[in-house]
Amino acid sequence: MKLAVWSYLSPAHVGATKAASSFNGVHTIVRAPKGDGYGTIMLAMFERLGVSPPLTISALTEATLAGDRADIGRMIADVDQRLHPEMIVITRSATASVLQEPLDGEIAMIPPGTIAAEIFQPSVHPLRDNEITAFAKTVAEIVDHFAQDGIARTPEPSVNIIGPALLGFHDHSNVVALRRLFADLGVRVNAVVPLGASPDQLRALGSAWLNVSTSRELALPTMQKLHSRFGTPFIEDVPYGEAGTTRFLRELSRLLELPSDRITAASREAKLLWYSRTVDAHALSGKRVGVFGMPSAVAGIARVLHDELDMHVEFAGTFSLDDGDWLREQLRDLTDDVLVTDDYQDVANKIDATRPDIMFGSQMERHSASRFGVPCAVISSPCHILNFPLGHAPFLGYEGANHIGDVVNQTQVLGLEHHLIETFGPRGQGRFAEAAPEGAAEPAAPVSTDLSWDETAEKLMGRIPFFVRKKARANVEKYAREQRIATIDESVVLAARQHVGG
Amino acid sequence: MFDPSTETIERDDFCSLAPIGWLHHKMQDSFFLVVGTHSCQGFLQTALGVMIFAKPRFATAVLDEDDLSGRDTLEAVQPLVEAIVAEHRPAAIFLGSTCTPEILKMNVAGCAKPLEALTGVRMYPCRLDGFDPAYTQGEDHVLAAMIERCPTTDAQNIVILGCLSAIEEAEMRLECAAMGLPEPAFLPAESALDLPPIGPNTVLAAVHPYLYGSVSYAQRERGCAIHQTVFPYGPDGTRAFFETLAAAFGKTISYAERERAAWTSCERDVAVLRGRSVSFVSDTLLELPLARTLRAAGMTVKAVGTPNIYRKFHARERAALEGIDVYERPDRFEMFARLDANRPDLVVANLNIANALEGQGFNVKWATELTFQPVHGFNGAPALLGMFAASMRRHDALARTRDRSQTAATPIDLSFFREPARA
Repeated sequence: MKLAVWSYLSPAHVGATKAASSFNGVHTIVRAPKGDGYGTIMLAMFERLGVSPPLTISALTEATLAGDRADIGRMIADVDQRLHPEMIVITRSATASVLQEPLDGEIAMIPPGTIAAEIFQPSVHPLRDNEITAFAKTVAEIVDHFAQDGIARTPEPSVNIIGPALLGFHDHSNVVALRRLFADLGVRVNAVVPLGASPDQLRALGSAWLNVSTSRELALPTMQKLHSRFGTPFIEDVPYGEAGTTRFLRELSRLLELPSDRITAASREAKLLWYSRTVDAHALSGKRVGVFGMPSAVAGIARVLHDELDMHVEFAGTFSLDDGDWLREQLRDLTDDVLVTDDYQDVANKIDATRPDIMFGSQMERHSASRFGVPCAVISSPCHILNFPLGHAPFLGYEGANHIGDVVNQTQVLGLEHHLIETFGPRGQGRFAEAAPEGAAEPAAPVSTDLSWDETAEKLMGRIPFFVRKKARANVEKYAREQRIATIDESVVLAARQHVGG
Repeated sequence: MFDPSTETIERDDFCSLAPIGWLHHKMQDSFFLVVGTHSCQGFLQTALGVMIFAKPRFATAVLDEDDLSGRDTLEAVQPLVEAIVAEHRPAAIFLGSTCTPEILKMNVAGCAKPLEALTGVRMYPCRLDGFDPAYTQGEDHVLAAMIERCPTTDAQNIVILGCLSAIEEAEMRLECAAMGLPEPAFLPAESALDLPPIGPNTVLAAVHPYLYGSVSYAQRERGCAIHQTVFPYGPDGTRAFFETLAAAFGKTISYAERERAAWTSCERDVAVLRGRSVSFVSDTLLELPLARTLRAAGMTVKAVGTPNIYRKFHARERAALEGIDVYERPDRFEMFARLDANRPDLVVANLNIANALEGQGFNVKWATELTFQPVHGFNGAPALLGMFAASMRRHDALARTRDRSQTAATPIDLSFFREPARA
């Protein structure tokens, strides 16, 4: 057993679910206790889906423990008949795998010809895989399952974009930015995988000339599989930054044999390197930054900050332990200090020890950095709903480079968040919100000479969340004056609340 | 009487670990140690994550492959407990056993005694797993574990069972005094060590409909009287709750006037709700009392889904909903079909499907909030009805904006989810 409070990566079944749910025409059944299905809430809330996610929990119940079989066959039939997916993916959480239910046997017992969908179980290990490896495997295996041999290449140069998914970091915007970029180059996007990829598109994946990705760690197994099946070349680098995108496009042009003037035309959108020349940005030189997150994002963003904005990378790192060596190699010329850890406290301690001018990290670094008064931009999963913006906010391609410039710009001037945390403290709100944290200013009680508060009333007010206390106090006093009450006791406080409402 | 139809188990749900959110806030000297998987930790992080920076008084002992292959539980958990005691100095540790220990028949509860002897810190072993019908029942298991440690008594006393805020407790206390009843004790109190005596003459009054297990446990083990009534939500429920409490002490008290006054204080919100229709999607077990009070507020209740009905414990609430379709453990697909047929003005639903329902044009009030806001009693009634009214007002206002501007609120374009890939 290991004590854990917070972790960067979700369990394997969540990674598999994110991947499978992102395809079009694929429905996922997760065999798990009901609480393990919390990924559904994240999908529904963060992505603001106006429909139910293509995801069903086959919940373990009291009856399961007593020996009842999963009856997964009935649930498969139900999903098949009501939702008509082309494929039903079955995955299990760690808890369900401990139960060692004979799901394969149950699936085998389904009478042939009664289910129209294909039933597919990715080879994800509920305990040994993590969110990243489970995601990458699931995409690669579903792709491998559908992709058909003997498909002709598209007449015009084309790419598959591998990696974008539901709950992916700014993936909707990234896909839009990359589609525009490829359109400018006269390159057709054959498919985006898994986000929205239909079985028909998957069958024709072999027709693309090239595979590119939005995240190396999420896409590599799929790109390798497509390479071995169809000989399709792929680019491991992800296009971060203006110079980075141009480098990426030069490689792409070489592989697709495009005329080089097309890159110049496409780069007309880019403003980052020009911004960097302007006087406004001169102060960025030598600013010390820390970068921590998903491996590709860290490699990409650290290089942009260093190469394109002339900032100093104090340290970088990732929570993906499998990718530590790769990241070290990528950043060899930028920094020796590469932190590979999945313990958020290690990163917090690093931020505390190095005190960078700006931190770039996941949502957790944003919280940790604000404790030390270090401004932080979120550039990687895991992130909060704030990083599912309504507007267009890509991180990739030329448009993404512009957005990164804006993010740097906004982060260094925004001291407001720090101020708010100082004032309101870290405690949760709601019914049992505690007294003001140490050091926070108590709102001053209004001086009232005509009214007195007795001990019971003061005690009750002390239990009201401190940030509404001042207003509540004023409401109670207003009520007392209206009712011509001179001494306020707890019953007056209660009556006032009922009178005012809320 | 209606016959609640029991459907299947395909539904969206939350985990019984969720009540740790409000319980650890209420009991300021407690610590919740959950023995479970990475998923349990992930759930706590997602559901309660905002509190992570105040040195949270909850953590997960994540099982590794050694634990799964039969390592001694006490040996594994002991160093973790010692670390928690050293760092947090809690007065009590709730030792939560989750689904996986339950499946593996790990004896987490059996660790409580030796750990208590070893550390001198009170240990409450409790089941916090996902096998209950509703996630709110995590609180039920926690309270049952505490009842086991309550002292006994022969005295006639009142114990109010269920996690309440200070302001809700104050009302209970003042009303009991006004009725000439003994001063009530509360479980849980602000300290996890503050345990009221419970004995054969105790009147045990549960304020939440999800406390069936702890109430029956107390009845069985201590022989105490069960306060059999509706739950104190809304002016109508609160009146019945207090009148029944007085009756348990041989007093006949009419709170008709109090109820009327409370409705008057809610009128601003009731005016918004009156004449509109509402349906409940199965979620917290609060569905029966909420449907009852919204009906009393003049709403038409079209259908109620609820995770489970405890026949005796919920008898009064069920009776209050006579004539209304109530579905126990509703099937998700059937539920959507019913909503489509009924087209209620408001749907009370859980977070999983709230956006999906909005996407289908329903007005949704998400219900989880009701489990941790102070909405009990006459005093909480304006807040309770106000939450529904605020939701209704907001939907009305946005609908007017859309109508005036002739603009549809089109859900974010992920249209590839809508269409079946196959004809």
